[in-house]
Amino acid sequence: MRAHAGAPPSRRRFLAMSAGGAMAGAAALSGCALQVSSGVSGSGETVTVMVNSGDILPEQIQQAKKDLGIKIVLVKYDITKLIAMLTSGNPPDLVRGVGAVELPYFAARDVAEELDPYFARSSVLKADDLDPVNDLWRFDGRTQGKGPRYGMAKDFSQDSMYWYNTAAFDKAGVDYPPETDPVTYEEWLATAERLVQRKNSQTVVFGGSFAGLTRATLLATITASAGGSLFSDDFSRVDFTAPEARKALAWYIDYCRTKVGPSLIQPDPNGWDGPTYQAGRLAMSNSGYWMGGMIGADKKLAEVSRLAPAPIFAGGERISACQGGTGLWMPRGAKNKDAAWRVFEWFFGEEPARARASGGWGIPTLKSLRPLMPAKEDYQKRVLKVQENELKHFSVVSFTPYTRADAFDALFNQTAPAAMNGQISVDTLAGRLNAAINEQLKRGKEQVG
Amino acid sequence: MTATSLPPTSSPDVRVRVRVRRLTLYTVLVSVAGLFLGPFGWLVLSGLKTQGELAASPVHWLPDVFQWHNFARAFTEIDFLGYARNSLIIALVYATLVTLSSAWVGFGFARLDAPGKKVLFGVLLGSMMLPQMVTLLPTYLIFAKLGMVDTYWPWVLWGLSAAPYLVFLFRQFFAGMPRELEEAAIVDGCGYASIFWRIFLPQSWPVLSASFIIAFTWTWGDYIAPQLLLSTDRTTLAVAVMTAYVNEGGTPVLELQAAASVMYVVPILLIFLVAQRGFVAGMSTSGLK
Repeated sequence: MRAHAGAPPSRRRFLAMSAGGAMAGAAALSGCALQVSSGVSGSGETVTVMVNSGDILPEQIQQAKKDLGIKIVLVKYDITKLIAMLTSGNPPDLVRGVGAVELPYFAARDVAEELDPYFARSSVLKADDLDPVNDLWRFDGRTQGKGPRYGMAKDFSQDSMYWYNTAAFDKAGVDYPPETDPVTYEEWLATAERLVQRKNSQTVVFGGSFAGLTRATLLATITASAGGSLFSDDFSRVDFTAPEARKALAWYIDYCRTKVGPSLIQPDPNGWDGPTYQAGRLAMSNSGYWMGGMIGADKKLAEVSRLAPAPIFAGGERISACQGGTGLWMPRGAKNKDAAWRVFEWFFGEEPARARASGGWGIPTLKSLRPLMPAKEDYQKRVLKVQENELKHFSVVSFTPYTRADAFDALFNQTAPAAMNGQISVDTLAGRLNAAINEQLKRGKEQVG
Repeated sequence: MTATSLPPTSSPDVRVRVRVRRLTLYTVLVSVAGLFLGPFGWLVLSGLKTQGELAASPVHWLPDVFQWHNFARAFTEIDFLGYARNSLIIALVYATLVTLSSAWVGFGFARLDAPGKKVLFGVLLGSMMLPQMVTLLPTYLIFAKLGMVDTYWPWVLWGLSAAPYLVFLFRQFFAGMPRELEEAAIVDGCGYASIFWRIFLPQSWPVLSASFIIAFTWTWGDYIAPQLLLSTDRTTLAVAVMTAYVNEGGTPVLELQAAASVMYVVPILLIFLVAQRGFVAGMSTSGLK
């Protein structure tokens, strides 16, 4: 039996190695994680928070333990894991969520806790100090923006605004956009066409990106700018053939067809605008105030960067919505609600909130924290002036509770490239989108009941 | 390589032809090796660039200044060693247990006869076709009921449960061993447990090492299970590398992610380099090459 390569060990040696391995494994296990985490079971003064990396820093967890006497256990945000935890009856005590699109979905399914009683007795989070963006976390059973509060945004931006690189404008001999008055969507696109640089049919510098946070929120917001609503009054249907929605859709398809910026048919390998803008390969980036955190860290880039108001449609209403409003909500089945609320107050009203406000990565969601926004350097003052003016035009664009935005986007992404490539008309696309998305909404409505 | 070796008495023409053939062969082999190494090389280069160089167009092939500090930052910005330790524990425990349990099950399928054995083996192989996503939620719910979420016990149970692919590997290997060995052992008074432990297992070193490497690599590289079952502190390097390198805005820092990915891959490369003889022999002797 020497047909096999490698010297076979003796039986004694093999057994010794196996025993050694098993002992090492057992020792490692008992030293590390045999015990069930009390955090996941949600008992005692331990609060499980499901967030993304960087939302709560390790040193902040240490500080919270000292200041609040509460141990925070972090669980990485993952929708599959969240559903598993909700199904098992052991949900996290607080969960990260994108208020603009997720709150109606979870509130309508009765898995989110109403927080009005907690807000009413809080000395940290007072109703008159809450920025209107927190209305994204309200839902009255039908419409987002009204009714009880289910969560709060940690920071926000008005996501139809855009940054532009003055060096790219200078190079192309294009005038800068007005500081506080919006351009029209058509003007924005015409400017992007003048700014785009191509070499051997490859785009070297994008003229502008306009992708929104999701296609769903982008189209809902642009439709609102055109004076309409993407959804029916009861949010159970979309209608892309309605004049305002069609106008919004046609503009977006035009943007993709002209290939002035990243889109489904011309993706940016970086996956988001930041690195591309930083590398001088993007003249205008449809990102709100939050991207100033990245820009501010690069002095040269900050010098040539300006923030501009959200575009409008000629004759349409001036709307500058938030498409994110990412924050936290509390599952109805959370086991440790009082301690979770204390962490909620700390996260939104105390040291972490102050750190976020001064970091420049978003607008604070408490009005009292606005003075902490970076305003020392000239470019910061310029940005702040534009942003403060834009806040006057904030409004909530309500999203449907009957689908998640990623499901909406998946259907859009399947259907729209044909129109972007000119194979089908915008009207045909509108009809196909209505059919596919309304079917999805119908199923969602059946689930909610 | 016998076809390309030079016969001692060959004519100059033959020698030239053989040399040309050998040169062509080496050129092809080096090209293919380069093709396979390409992605890893690109990853290493990405880890040595600035964010601007990563996003540059036309492509910036080589960094202006090699950013070696990206590797140091990738190592220190998260608890890299802590996550690596978690990965190592899980991978070692699972790989050891699943190798032994799969060998035991494979031995049963190869050497024992019972009604329904073929059907059972078919069911076992059929379970390989179930996508992991299908069993994800039920798996979580079972472990949640058992109080094993956020512990490493699931990997112990998975290890003890054998893995269909490895069972197949062992079954093929054991099926090829001569019947006389087994019969002689039975005559000498051995039961089947003794035959497995004393005769078959010590003879199967190549397939044992192949199985261990495969199982270790699965676990080291698994993202879904640790992401589902473990909290941020106890999770593995695979999850940390994918998720932990973000800026204050929550967007990924690609150069650090690339540097960390290089360091993440190194242990697997080392294990393969050390044990490749056994791995290759194990795969070929089980008839799965």
